Amino acid sequence: MKKLLLVVVLLMMLTVIFSPLSVVAQAAPADDLQTVVERGVLRVGMEAGYAPYNYRQTTDANGAVAIYNQNGEFANGYDVKIAKYIAEQMGVTLEVHALEWDSLINALNAGTIDAIIAGMSPTEERKEAIDFSDKYYESNLVIVVRKDGKFSDSDNIEDFVGANIVAQRGTFHVDALEQITTVTDTNQYDTFATMITALKANTIDGYIAEEPGAIADCTANSELMYVPIRNNENGFTTAEGDTQLAVGLRKGSSLTAEINSILATVSDDQRAEWMDEAIAQQPVESIERGFFGNVAYILGRYWTKILQGVGTTILVSIVGTVAGMVIGLLVGFIRTLPTARTKAGRIWQKVYNFVFSAYVEIFRGTPMMVQAMVIYWGYALLNNGVTMNTFVAALLIVSVNTGAYITEIVRGGINALDKGQFEGSSAIGMTHWQTLRYVILPQTVKNILPAVSNEFVINIKDTSVLSVLAGFIDLYAVGNIIILGTYRTFEAYLIISVVYFLLTFCITRLLRLFERKLNGKSNYALYNSDIVSAAPNVTGE
Amino acid sequence: MCNILEINNLTKSFGDNDILRGISLTVKKGEVISIIGSSGSGKSTFLRCLNLLEKPTSGEILYHGNDIQSKKFDIHRYRAEVGMVFQNFNLFDNMTALQNCCIGQVKVLKLSKEQAKQRALEYLEKVGMLQYINARPSQLSGGQKQRVAIARALCMNPEVVLFDEPTSALDPEMVGEVLSVMTGLAKSGLTMIVVTHEMDFARDVSTRVVFMDQGVIVEEGSPDVIFTNPQEQRTRQFLARVL
Repeated sequence: MKKLLLVVVLLMMLTVIFSPLSVVAQAAPADDLQTVVERGVLRVGMEAGYAPYNYRQTTDANGAVAIYNQNGEFANGYDVKIAKYIAEQMGVTLEVHALEWDSLINALNAGTIDAIIAGMSPTEERKEAIDFSDKYYESNLVIVVRKDGKFSDSDNIEDFVGANIVAQRGTFHVDALEQITTVTDTNQYDTFATMITALKANTIDGYIAEEPGAIADCTANSELMYVPIRNNENGFTTAEGDTQLAVGLRKGSSLTAEINSILATVSDDQRAEWMDEAIAQQPVESIERGFFGNVAYILGRYWTKILQGVGTTILVSIVGTVAGMVIGLLVGFIRTLPTARTKAGRIWQKVYNFVFSAYVEIFRGTPMMVQAMVIYWGYALLNNGVTMNTFVAALLIVSVNTGAYITEIVRGGINALDKGQFEGSSAIGMTHWQTLRYVILPQTVKNILPAVSNEFVINIKDTSVLSVLAGFIDLYAVGNIIILGTYRTFEAYLIISVVYFLLTFCITRLLRLFERKLNGKSNYALYNSDIVSAAPNVTGE
Repeated sequence: MCNILEINNLTKSFGDNDILRGISLTVKKGEVISIIGSSGSGKSTFLRCLNLLEKPTSGEILYHGNDIQSKKFDIHRYRAEVGMVFQNFNLFDNMTALQNCCIGQVKVLKLSKEQAKQRALEYLEKVGMLQYINARPSQLSGGQKQRVAIARALCMNPEVVLFDEPTSALDPEMVGEVLSVMTGLAKSGLTMIVVTHEMDFARDVSTRVVFMDQGVIVEEGSPDVIFTNPQEQRTRQFLARVL
């Protein structure tokens, strides 16, 4: 019965937590245009990883714009040129937010950004969640293949017999992929960088891209080429909304009309010129360096970023583990309180014990990545789009999550103590608090230290899932930045994994040393009362 | 002589299990009372009720005439004045022998660290453990631990010390060292209540012997009377078994 009640309440709490997310599409905007003009800043979301529409570089060359939420990274490309033009015409400053593709619409509706300019097509599904401006570019679909592969001569979709072709998840490319009936294997990837790596590694035979993107990819990777598949009886059948690109805006936003009138002033020639520029200005990585050359190049170009990532990872892991330990000890100690004398006290005890159990069950029973998304976006929705500082959010999530695990570790640590420790201390008149502070705490900490060290090492690795928080640049996120900048997926992940290993290896050794120190000396000095030796530290504090 | 403790009609039940069924006893200053009886007769429970490690089900415990179960009564102060020595020592595992003896003085009696240390050294010397003040409990033998535990209790300057089977967990060869310390304390005039299976100690050292069986005091009296001329049948049966 009690279990059933617990389950019911847990479900209710989850429903309450999740309910704001189900009404994402209905977020009612204030007067967006007025807000943007008053703020003097237009916040635009994009991946900064979809050349030539939007890509990243390490300097502000060619008019690149600093990425607001990723220090030291700059965005450029066709989308950036369009965004700059729009902001300029509105008389406001452009602020580029780099976000994962899947979180762009969420961020828009939560109010974190004002517009999406990310090579996004105004598809019917998306139109249910957000509005779109008029098109600012139109392209057609192609398939990128290897120059030396067997599909380099293809020119229509019937030619891809027995091929393994992939497309980007969540785009209309997936629909196009389904039209190639002759392929034997289809798959969906998250980023073009991964597809390029897969194609170069011969894992796949080709991937679907829009022509400008294909041009950019083939420029950057000399062994690749693309085959144009026209929108005709031998090509892909695509809706107009799919091949066009438009600015994504909140439903009913007053920005839509303003942006449409600005886009109307851009001629077709101007658009073609910008696209040519975007392709020409893309950082080219076509030099062949070989494996070790690539590793050396990445280390040389990104070593400061890697160090920053290491710093962030260690900091978040340490703070998270220490805070988690404090939470765990507090909860564990409150649970040791003797049963209250009054009835009200006993009811209060039942309530908080239930809350503690629910806390432990919920945070142990859901993935940290999901918790991060719920807390981060839930907070944004409840606060009219003001998001938490991602670093603070990361610290909060790791601490609370670790706290749930350490609460259970502490419970075991206290249970392992002889109850005579409590009695011995009561019998000389110490209060419950004094007993906890001077007798139970030191012994519990010693008991739980190996398990807490383990949590720390786990945190170093598991904080990588927090890279879903846009702008949280831990070691893993640095890996992704390297890939977006160099297209060297294998080398980047290999470097990152070596760094992770070195971190956990060294830290494990350090913690071992610390544990040994805490265990104290195995021998003791005999006391000789003739020598007036100040016996050390009489209270063990 | 004044009454330190006066216990009236004390009962204690764990669920349906009646452990103590109406105990009355008066403890005067300087008395050494040995409580004897078979295992399960309620001796230890009675002792633990005296400093409220167990909460009595009913009955009264008066300390210098004050009801120790009253809400206004300062239980922490009281426990400092009524020391307790346990069967399993219950020394603090995270502290050295010296720290074990000082922590209560500093935190409960609010003495300075220097005062606490002086007194601790004095009592540790008294129990013959001065050499080992820097040792942790895990580095000591059972008899040594119990002597430190006795010193810890004495450091609080208690008015009365409760001993709960202090030699039962010891190897036979270590029983002697602890008993000789306790005999010394008894001779120095310390008020003691000792639950024990050591009949020699009960007979030779205590001023009064209490025989308990099935939760009641069957018989009490001077050691001479109890050991040589018990009045009750149950006392005679018990003594016949253990002597």
